[in-house]
Amino acid sequence: MPKRIEAIEVTELPDGTKMFWAQLPKEKSSKKVLLAVGESFITLGLILALFVGYKAVLQDSVIADKQIAAAAEFVKQHKFRDPSQVTRQAQIFGRMYVPRFGAKWTRLIAEGTRWHPVLNEIGVGHYVGTTMPGEVGNFAVAAHRGGFGGAFKEIHRLTTGDKVFVETRNFWYVYKYLQTKIVNPNEITVINAVPPELDGAVAGSRYMTMTSCTPIYVNTQRIIVWLELDRVIPIKNGPPQELNIGGN
Amino acid sequence: MYSWLWRKLPGGKLLKSIQCLGLATIFIAACYFWFFPWLDALLFTEVSPL
Repeated sequence: MPKRIEAIEVTELPDGTKMFWAQLPKEKSSKKVLLAVGESFITLGLILALFVGYKAVLQDSVIADKQIAAAAEFVKQHKFRDPSQVTRQAQIFGRMYVPRFGAKWTRLIAEGTRWHPVLNEIGVGHYVGTTMPGEVGNFAVAAHRGGFGGAFKEIHRLTTGDKVFVETRNFWYVYKYLQTKIVNPNEITVINAVPPELDGAVAGSRYMTMTSCTPIYVNTQRIIVWLELDRVIPIKNGPPQELNIGGN
Repeated sequence: MYSWLWRKLPGGKLLKSIQCLGLATIFIAACYFWFFPWLDALLFTEVSPL
């Protein structure tokens, strides 16, 4: 937009040439402040967009790789704590494999569902008070959907025929998929020994429940996946054939 | 702010553009390697309500 000229000044040079100077109005200080505030907001918006990108893409994949590597390293150096001897938060008692999440997907399972250090650093957390793998009742676990490695990022893709493998100190537990449901965060009965939300749930069964947040990055609800124990394999017999990992 | 920076940078349009690109790179690198990890630790290391 052209600026209004307030005055014109004429200067005559020694050779007779005339120069015309246009005097423009000075910008008001309030306009300058408004401009600076506007630009600051745009800058802040760009920084926030960058932060979202950092959290969702860069940090997520870096942490996911770290958690997978940590799982392999842990097995080389330690033995899993026997699930019956788990007494404190963050004690690692197993490892989980979900082929549906990718061929290399694996995470350690630790006691408790605290963000730090269980869900943020280790990966999968076991709800305190729910049963341990293979026992009658409900072996319930939680993991992040997005951020901190997003262990359960692909949880919505689990479907009929899928299996989840849990490795502990002495046994492999093979769970088969039953059902997925979206619930409100206050519906904590989903991890009951006999979850009322699970169609056809009966007492005496050996269930597993995987929980995470949904929609991804919004987290206003919870996505629940129920599975049922298919079979148990002693650890000395090696990993289940369909897992196809041939050891650690 | 940005127009002030543009005026203050020396050189022609090409040189100014290169300098702006350099400043933006430094700014984004500082965000990713220092500011974002700090902000992340500040916002997301609380105990889960689960």
